[in-house]
Amino acid sequence: MIKFENLTKIYHGLRAVDNINLMVPQGTVFGLIGPNGAGKTTTIKMMVGVLRPTMGNIFINGMEISREPTKIKKIIGFIPDRPFLYEKLSGLEFLKFKAGLYGVSRNGIDARISNLLDIFELSDWENELIESYSHGMKQRLIIAAAIMHDPKVIVVDEPMVGLDPKGAKLVKKIFVDRAGKGATVFMSTHTLSLAQEICERIAIVNNGRILACGTYEDLKRQAGTEESLESIFLKLTGGDEACEGI
Amino acid sequence: MKAFKLLISPRFAGFKNDITRSKGNRKIKILTLSIAGILLWLILFFLFYRMLIYFSSQELIGDILAKQLLAMVLLMLFSILIFSNIITALSNLYLSHDLELCHSSPATLIELFLSRSFYTVVDSSWMPLVFGLPVLIAYGFVYHAGLNYYLSLFNVFAPLIIIGASLGIMVVMILVRFLPAQRAGNIVMFLSLFLIIMLYLLFRFLRPERLVNPDAFIGVAQYLAALKTPDSPYLPSHWATSLLWANLIKDQTSQIFNHLLLWSTTFAMVIIDIWLAEYIYFEGFSRSVEAKRRSYPGKNILDKVVSAVTKPLAPDANSIIAKEIRTFFRDNTQWSQLLFLAALMAVYLYNFSVLPLEKSPIKSIYLQNALSFLNIGMAGFVISALSVRFVFPAVSSEGKAFWIILSSPLSLRRFLWCKYFAYLIPMLIVAEILIIYSNYLLKVTPFMMVLSSITIFFMVFGIVALGVGLGAVYPNFQHENIAKIATGFGGFIYMVASSVFIAIIVMLEAGPVYAILSAHFKGETVSLLQWVWIGSSFIVVILLNIFTVKKPMSLGLKAITDYEG
Repeated sequence: MIKFENLTKIYHGLRAVDNINLMVPQGTVFGLIGPNGAGKTTTIKMMVGVLRPTMGNIFINGMEISREPTKIKKIIGFIPDRPFLYEKLSGLEFLKFKAGLYGVSRNGIDARISNLLDIFELSDWENELIESYSHGMKQRLIIAAAIMHDPKVIVVDEPMVGLDPKGAKLVKKIFVDRAGKGATVFMSTHTLSLAQEICERIAIVNNGRILACGTYEDLKRQAGTEESLESIFLKLTGGDEACEGI
Repeated sequence: MKAFKLLISPRFAGFKNDITRSKGNRKIKILTLSIAGILLWLILFFLFYRMLIYFSSQELIGDILAKQLLAMVLLMLFSILIFSNIITALSNLYLSHDLELCHSSPATLIELFLSRSFYTVVDSSWMPLVFGLPVLIAYGFVYHAGLNYYLSLFNVFAPLIIIGASLGIMVVMILVRFLPAQRAGNIVMFLSLFLIIMLYLLFRFLRPERLVNPDAFIGVAQYLAALKTPDSPYLPSHWATSLLWANLIKDQTSQIFNHLLLWSTTFAMVIIDIWLAEYIYFEGFSRSVEAKRRSYPGKNILDKVVSAVTKPLAPDANSIIAKEIRTFFRDNTQWSQLLFLAALMAVYLYNFSVLPLEKSPIKSIYLQNALSFLNIGMAGFVISALSVRFVFPAVSSEGKAFWIILSSPLSLRRFLWCKYFAYLIPMLIVAEILIIYSNYLLKVTPFMMVLSSITIFFMVFGIVALGVGLGAVYPNFQHENIAKIATGFGGFIYMVASSVFIAIIVMLEAGPVYAILSAHFKGETVSLLQWVWIGSSFIVVILLNIFTVKKPMSLGLKAITDYEG
């Protein structure tokens, strides 16, 4: 379970995240959607311990991030939007590195890594340096590394960036399967069709605030429209007016 | 040429923004670096001024020495220009991130090529301006040169810079025509590094200090032969030397031929480069964009080394240190610097082997021990110089992948200490080799051997902590070239802090060591009061070492804990 209490982040006087309160039940695929600069990535970075909140708290599985960061990080699998990795390691070495960092037991780790490399179609490249991987391959490697330690919470920032349709389908399946087994998936995305397809609950954010939150049906009610998620999104975030000037 | 102007405008806009929009810390950094630059400039000026004044006091050979020195300086500047242009041209023409954007623009290939060549010239020309001008102005002062001389400096620098850049760009275009840009880059970097080291070693092993002592030579002919520099009438630096020298000594002979040689070569080189670019530049660029599988040699050896080193460690420390070793040895910009390390150590030890101790008016037993004591400080400075290059960038080396550490369950404290120990062990080994071997060459007393070995051993703990800690206080995770991190503001602060630390340790130990040695040589006993003083000094040294390990590490930890990208 994920819970935000009055979560706020102020950068140089700008409220990137403004007093967010949110609850995501265990075993849910949750989507955070919003325009560029809405505060999605900042929220995610605070969840995974990369940024410190200015105010408010984040609870993950009952633990508060500022009090027990190590324990929380151990149960999180984080997939960032840009695949910056150690370019001078091979894919296999990177997975072993992450296994060591997350304290994954050495028993059976080789088989687990081999299986993940197969699933993500990286076996042929396991001994090549990451610097020679394409963007999509790096993204697949990051996803493999993120789920290697069997995390209870998966936090994803723009999961489909750089993935081909086959990779995208695989990732969607992994998220839904993991949620089915009790893991919580928290993802931010611009791809509204993806959010509509796999997220049980969605929050629309703009200017650091939550404008609407709930299931697709709840959002339709809150926006007062029966149209698609895209229409709801544009109506709530004011994107419609921007299109009119073109 | 409209596109050319547009293509070079981002560099000017970026520079302007950097100056006008910098705030707080950044402004202080710019100011500090400017002051350091001016100081360096003044030091170079006064060094050469003194040297030239000394030369001018030497009858017969004074002018010969000054002219040879001028030829040597210009030849060296010209060679450095070519090498630095090769490296910057590779980056500007083939490897920069914005090249794809530029190549997809409607600018013509030649406009694009010229704009990137312009970047290359700008990137490389600061060095002769910074290091060359003070030398040449010192010449002007000593020889009371007129306005003509100072005007001719432009006439010399402009063509030398453009010819150097054109040659560098030409070499790069031809290399990349046959090799992928990345590999060509590695080869060029390795070769230039190798050449610089060879030049450095050659220069040192020639013992240039003998040139100011003609008595050391058997005859005049032998002395004059030793003065000869490698020069050729076909080199632009030779034409530049003739031109400047004529202006310095107010020689009335016409220098029009040297002028023409310099400027006609400049124009010819630019035309040849443009012509070459039309044929081979785009093909080379296109090849450099293609993705290549990047395998790595020596995998088995490296795996064995990593496994042996990290076996006794906990899994998280094992991961960090294994990653550190692997990335270090696979990054050419990193491991190739080990050659510098070897050269630095070789010259350092060579200097001890050629010390004329027997000629000293002081008793050599005193001198040996005094030198051994100074050696602690000098070895400390050598270790600091190595640390600023290898240890200081340790935290920044995580680069844009630092999110992996931040989002992992590894605590930042543990991360920082893992980095510390990864560098401490090799630095200890290097320091002990330096101190023990140089003491062996000096034939010092066992007391000094033990004292200096122990002092440097504990000093390295502080030097490495300063490197890791201050490296975390001044991190640069956005760098494109790790070698440049040491040259920034943080590297400067580190060198100052490290030098102060070494100087204090040496000063604290100097008095007690003198008391013990002088009592030993005079056959006296050390008094109780002296023992108290000696004991207190060494306790302060121990406390200072502990402080220098703890404080920078805690400052570094706070800085990366508060880091927000």
